[in-house]
Amino acid sequence: MPIIKENLANGIKLYVNKLNKFKTVTINIYISNKLSDETAKFALLPSILRRGSYSFKTYKEITKHLEDLYGATFAFSVYKKGERQIAQFKLEIVDGTYLKEDILEDSIKFISDILLNPLISNDGFEQTYVQQEKEKQKNLINSRINEKTKYAVERCIEEMCKDEDYSIYELGNVDDVDKIDEKNLYEYYKKAIKRLPIDIFVVGNVDVDKVKELFNKYFKIERTSIDVIPDTPIFKKIDKVKYVEDRFDVTQGKLTLGYRTNVNPWEDQYFPLLVLSGVLGGGPFSKLFMNVRERESLAYYAQTRLERFKGLMLIMSGIEIANYKKALEIIQKQVEEIKSGNISDYEFDSAVKALITSFNSIKDSGTQLADFYLSQKLSHTNYSIDDFISKIKQVTKDDIVEVSKKLQLDTVYFMTKK
Amino acid sequence: MMEIFNDLIKEKMYKYEHESGLNVFVMPKKGFIKQYAMFATHYGSNDREFIIPDESEIVHVPDGIAHFLEHKMFEEESGSIFEEFSKNGASANAYTNFTTTAYLFSCTDNFYSNLKLLLDFVQRPYFTDENVEKEKGIIAQEIRMYDDDPSWRLFFNMLGGLYHIHPVKVDIAGTIESISKIDKDILYKCYSTFYHPSNMVLFVTGDVDIDKVAEIVNNSVKAEKRHGEIKRIYPDEPAKINKSYVEQKMAVSMPLFNIGFKDNDIGYGGEKLLKKDITTQICLEILAGRSSDLYEELYNDGLIDTTFDVEYVGEVDHGYSIIGGQSRDPEAVKKAVINKISSIDKVDDGDFNRIKRKILGRFIKSFNSVESISHSFIAYYMKDINILDFTSVIEDITSDDVLNRFKTYFKEDNCVLSVVKP
Repeated sequence: MPIIKENLANGIKLYVNKLNKFKTVTINIYISNKLSDETAKFALLPSILRRGSYSFKTYKEITKHLEDLYGATFAFSVYKKGERQIAQFKLEIVDGTYLKEDILEDSIKFISDILLNPLISNDGFEQTYVQQEKEKQKNLINSRINEKTKYAVERCIEEMCKDEDYSIYELGNVDDVDKIDEKNLYEYYKKAIKRLPIDIFVVGNVDVDKVKELFNKYFKIERTSIDVIPDTPIFKKIDKVKYVEDRFDVTQGKLTLGYRTNVNPWEDQYFPLLVLSGVLGGGPFSKLFMNVRERESLAYYAQTRLERFKGLMLIMSGIEIANYKKALEIIQKQVEEIKSGNISDYEFDSAVKALITSFNSIKDSGTQLADFYLSQKLSHTNYSIDDFISKIKQVTKDDIVEVSKKLQLDTVYFMTKK
Repeated sequence: MMEIFNDLIKEKMYKYEHESGLNVFVMPKKGFIKQYAMFATHYGSNDREFIIPDESEIVHVPDGIAHFLEHKMFEEESGSIFEEFSKNGASANAYTNFTTTAYLFSCTDNFYSNLKLLLDFVQRPYFTDENVEKEKGIIAQEIRMYDDDPSWRLFFNMLGGLYHIHPVKVDIAGTIESISKIDKDILYKCYSTFYHPSNMVLFVTGDVDIDKVAEIVNNSVKAEKRHGEIKRIYPDEPAKINKSYVEQKMAVSMPLFNIGFKDNDIGYGGEKLLKKDITTQICLEILAGRSSDLYEELYNDGLIDTTFDVEYVGEVDHGYSIIGGQSRDPEAVKKAVINKISSIDKVDDGDFNRIKRKILGRFIKSFNSVESISHSFIAYYMKDINILDFTSVIEDITSDDVLNRFKTYFKEDNCVLSVVKP
């Protein structure tokens, strides 16, 4: 069954994918904003809403309610796709077929209540909640250094995009968090919930009309004109490669290379770029795995990642600190090999097949399906998963060489010992 | 073929024993795009000392060897087996933990060809002096990666506090020094001891045909039945904890902590272990879960944040609970936990029933993903537990069981605090 798009009475888009193979129904609500000096505020909102609502005043009451709904999982996360900041609220409930009761209506009522009927006192959010969640957000921002593998990639991107909004961390910075109080945050919320784009995705064994009816009944909010979030600028001319080093108390060095892809998310060249990234570092068949790990024993991991919505390709690896020069040289050589068309049939076919498998696998997860369709919306492409796969199948080695000419090394980042 | 049903969650599983002694399980999942297979041996980092079947001498092996062996299995005389999986668009992987080494793949196409590859390569060791040496550099980087991982250090420091001599306190990958002693002969010795099909299990799930699976197993598994048994030698671990406080300094923003409780009610698997496992989970949820008074108090006092979590790990020969997260004052959190435990003298029926519903719901939900089904299946199988018994076992648990577990298990003198500090 294909995904069905509907409009709620207030104009919010509702997407429903009826599939009966799952044991759960997954509801994802996405609210989008532009990265800006409001980023810290936007990021704090879900934490405040999650603390208590008009009907469930405390976190404990909310949690008890979710436990009663057979351990429904309710989680939010704040992240970015390009320079668009997204707050995702996810509620996953067990399908009524496996229970003695149907909990869909209760669930939609619950998530609507959390998002739209916050706990208010003296024309502001609950003061203690705001104070506590501000502290928590600051702690989260400060604890980014704990996970070195992830942090080394984030630092590379930060340095690369220093003068661009994309360098803004998804939770904002500590100074901006400090400026927030229960009053200015509530003022911000009242505007935001009326004017920011909201998309709702429901996946599972549900009746489309019933879901629409329930959201119309409970997700009641007056909307004004909706903000248009501009597409993220992709192109950047690089005059000189930046070299950045951070020193920490670590035993392993983390080497990250940041490239500009100069490919827009909606362009057909995105597909050869996907395959390129696969050939370079998308699995055990890839050039990085074969050369950096297997041939030279330099690393346990050496792989690539694409940031589709900002036009970045990252190469990440964990290496012996003394091997910095050698690893850098071998990694760059792999990119040069691709540029000069040195791609074996095995590397090419394996990369294509791995991509097909991974896009096909999206069909087995409600949340991944929602994320896929959201990405299509944001890239203004209306592709289904099968469209995506047939686009990948059409890619040739020449297409990869062609798109590789657009790749530009921007920043080399190295996390090393003190 | 034997059929095993669970009517509540509407799943069934087929069981079949191959003449070599290999147990094969298939759980068909209609409509799923992905197929998943795991071929696992009951052999992990805890197996440091053993006697080979029909021999009498005790073999001592270097730490990290089970994990090293796992890495080396992917190497073939003709190259790397990854190549064959990649050509089929499949993604192959493996992991080693304390009790198990598991090889797996997931794919959306060419399933039966991939299944044959999996069975064949795990039955075909190829170790040379050269390929063993080469792996030491790669694994050294894996060890360093974990050395820099605060959560991993926190966890192993806690185990070091809980256990005096039990091998679970030793890092799964060993140390750079211990793996330097590994050579091809010792790898072959471990392989032939632990990789006999009678010590292994195959689990398959996805939209697959059970007869075709059986046919491939029959064609690929050649070994004959082995009669002797592997004798695994584990030291006698004292009931008392080793150290009540362990601390390490690392590059973190705020102290991380694990509070561990050593379980001495051990030595059995099967339904009895499953019942203890779920009962302990209910205890932990009531004590410190998201809907508990303790969670609310600690959160409002700014002593914990949303990283705070509870977990019980119950193996046949050891077990422990973890209450962990990050805090500006881990000692205060531990104190609050201990105080709360000593004040518990009854289990509220409302709490009890609600937590049961939650755990049941989460269990049903896990059947949405071929990965989580497979990983849970293997973990339970190694403890002689049938995963589909979960719903009947949880039904049987009473609030008296939970209270009793509180009284007998959660005690201050069983408790270790591990802290990683900035």
